[in-house]
Amino acid sequence: MSEFSSLTEAVIKGDIQTAVAETQSALDAGSNVQDILDKGLIAAMDEVGEKFSTGQMFVPQMLRSAKTMQECMKLIKALFQEGQLSAKGKVVIGTVRQDLHDIGKNLVAMMMEGAGFSITDLGVDVSPKDFTQKAQEVGADIVAMSALLSTTMPAMRETIEALQEAGIRDKVKVMIGGAPVTENFASEIKADSYAPDAGSAVIAAKKLLGIT
Amino acid sequence: MERSEIPTFQPRLRVLNREQALAIHTAALEILEKTGFKMEHPRALEMIADKGCKISDGDWVRMPPHLVEEALKTAPKQISLYDQKGAKAMDLTGENSFYGTGSDATFTQDVETGERRRAVLKDVSNFATLVDGLENIDFAMSMANPEDAPIDDIYVYVFAEMLRNTNKPIVFIADSGRDIAKIHEIACSVVGGEEELKRKPFILNYSEAISPLLFPENVMEKLIFCAQKKIPLCLPSGSNAGGGAPVTLAGAMALGIAENLAGLVVHQLAGKGSPFLFGPNVSAMDMKSSVVCYGCPEWSLTQAALADMRDEIYGLPIWAFAGASDAKIMDAQAGAEAMFSILTALLSRANLIHDVGFLEYGSTSSLEMITMANELIAMSRFYVQGIPVNDGTLALEAIERVGRGGPGSIFLMDDHTYDHFMEALFLPKLLDRSRYDAWENEGAMDLYKRCNMEAKRILSEHEVDTKPDAVLKEIEQILKSS
Repeated sequence: MSEFSSLTEAVIKGDIQTAVAETQSALDAGSNVQDILDKGLIAAMDEVGEKFSTGQMFVPQMLRSAKTMQECMKLIKALFQEGQLSAKGKVVIGTVRQDLHDIGKNLVAMMMEGAGFSITDLGVDVSPKDFTQKAQEVGADIVAMSALLSTTMPAMRETIEALQEAGIRDKVKVMIGGAPVTENFASEIKADSYAPDAGSAVIAAKKLLGIT
Repeated sequence: MERSEIPTFQPRLRVLNREQALAIHTAALEILEKTGFKMEHPRALEMIADKGCKISDGDWVRMPPHLVEEALKTAPKQISLYDQKGAKAMDLTGENSFYGTGSDATFTQDVETGERRRAVLKDVSNFATLVDGLENIDFAMSMANPEDAPIDDIYVYVFAEMLRNTNKPIVFIADSGRDIAKIHEIACSVVGGEEELKRKPFILNYSEAISPLLFPENVMEKLIFCAQKKIPLCLPSGSNAGGGAPVTLAGAMALGIAENLAGLVVHQLAGKGSPFLFGPNVSAMDMKSSVVCYGCPEWSLTQAALADMRDEIYGLPIWAFAGASDAKIMDAQAGAEAMFSILTALLSRANLIHDVGFLEYGSTSSLEMITMANELIAMSRFYVQGIPVNDGTLALEAIERVGRGGPGSIFLMDDHTYDHFMEALFLPKLLDRSRYDAWENEGAMDLYKRCNMEAKRILSEHEVDTKPDAVLKEIEQILKSS
């Protein structure tokens, strides 16, 4: 049993009040902040991810766990020195130009954040230029794009081209998803990965960055 | 004295009482007035601002209820769709129900190999041909988002492909004001001009606002175009429980209805009296996979509720779905889910019922599913006719004849049976009732296999009346000018 087992349990249950109190008492007891994060919160979210992907948890429960983790993060974030808080990777995410459907994108962003990625969510109708600029600005590891309409899918290709022109295509991995998007389309436009749903998006992102 | 005719009760489903219907309607009006919505089309925004809507943050609109009441008064209670030869095909009003296919599936289940593959234009023509050849499928939608059509004009190409392969009414998709104008031009060429198309429309546009409460510019371009050209239109936003809308069905309905009413107001301001098919898509998001379900009881329940609200409040013909499934192949789940929605849509008297033939929550189309649904619709229609009770059907004379006819006298031999069995009983074509040995000798085929063979037979044997060369040439030219 980890010393943070009651914290882990509270995050899995989505019990915000208890989880925040457990985080505070761990801090008060002088626990290492990185340990609270790794062995408490991220360990909990790993288990949540596992339970979700095997159908033992429903989406709203998984999202409540992610929210619980975020609330706990508020307490410990301030204790990290600038740049010391190590995220699993930096993800810039959005729906592509002219696509305003964002439920799926929001779900992916929440799940990735829960899994320990640092997320920059550009929202909807994001132009290739904005994707590229933001990726450069934050030093993104992953650019994740979503499209619900087949008519907006070409913007995925254009965004990849824009990343290329900006000279950062080899620095970022590109992930795409959305109802009309297929594995074939992903390889056709030379995206690095395609994920059919939010759960597999997290797995794919970890794989792309070589995280287990 | 002759017995007076006994009216036949036709089984009818109700799922809301008047209080429930009014409470949902009131909630929808409250959403529009208190919460408001985002209108991204500048002219639409101007139009509703002029009529007294309050605008804040640039494009956030709050709408007073009286605008809704006015729009409900001017929208027609009946929408007639014609076939492409000018004959009335679908009288969308009251309790009339019509079934048709769906649009934009990414994949199809290949009729030859059974594999799931990316859809192509040839699939659009196959689906249209099948629809043309099935007696219980009343209108066509594309069923495919073809990989091989030019993406900028994908909906124009898909529309042209449907026209070449069916003469039934078409429910079509467009991207914006640009391609809908081309589609309209093609439709006009089929019937001989814009006035003729207005008089006898064979097309209906399907557009969607985005739940919650977002009206994108391109969607409103299409809505205004249709209102001005009198092209019938529906605007079912995806206010799915737990997805675009609250997880509770009453709230999801209130939100979807609010979005529909806001669309209706703009529509009637842009074209007073233009035809608007009412109703949102209120399905449910699956809480494990996050897909929007096509085989769930929730969607059938909300559209039955919408039919009740039509009867209690709106009076406008409504949009609905049936005959689809979340199953990945046409298996027992697909059959069960398809039948559930087909029967309840008819029992609740939904008017225009689309999505027949979808598998995999609308991502895969199946010719076999439509072929099966064609028979399930026949079964449901038979059921909903009820039991006519009169001298002829009570058949006391036949009972007397056979009962007192002595040895060897059986109903099967009686004239009454011969004269009436075809309308008195449901006679299936694909549902198997053969004796075991016969079934085995015929190849021990399940329903999927039989539907596959029937679909292939129709595709090879059914002849679609071709359009005049001049019309086909004109369509080609409009496509080329794209």
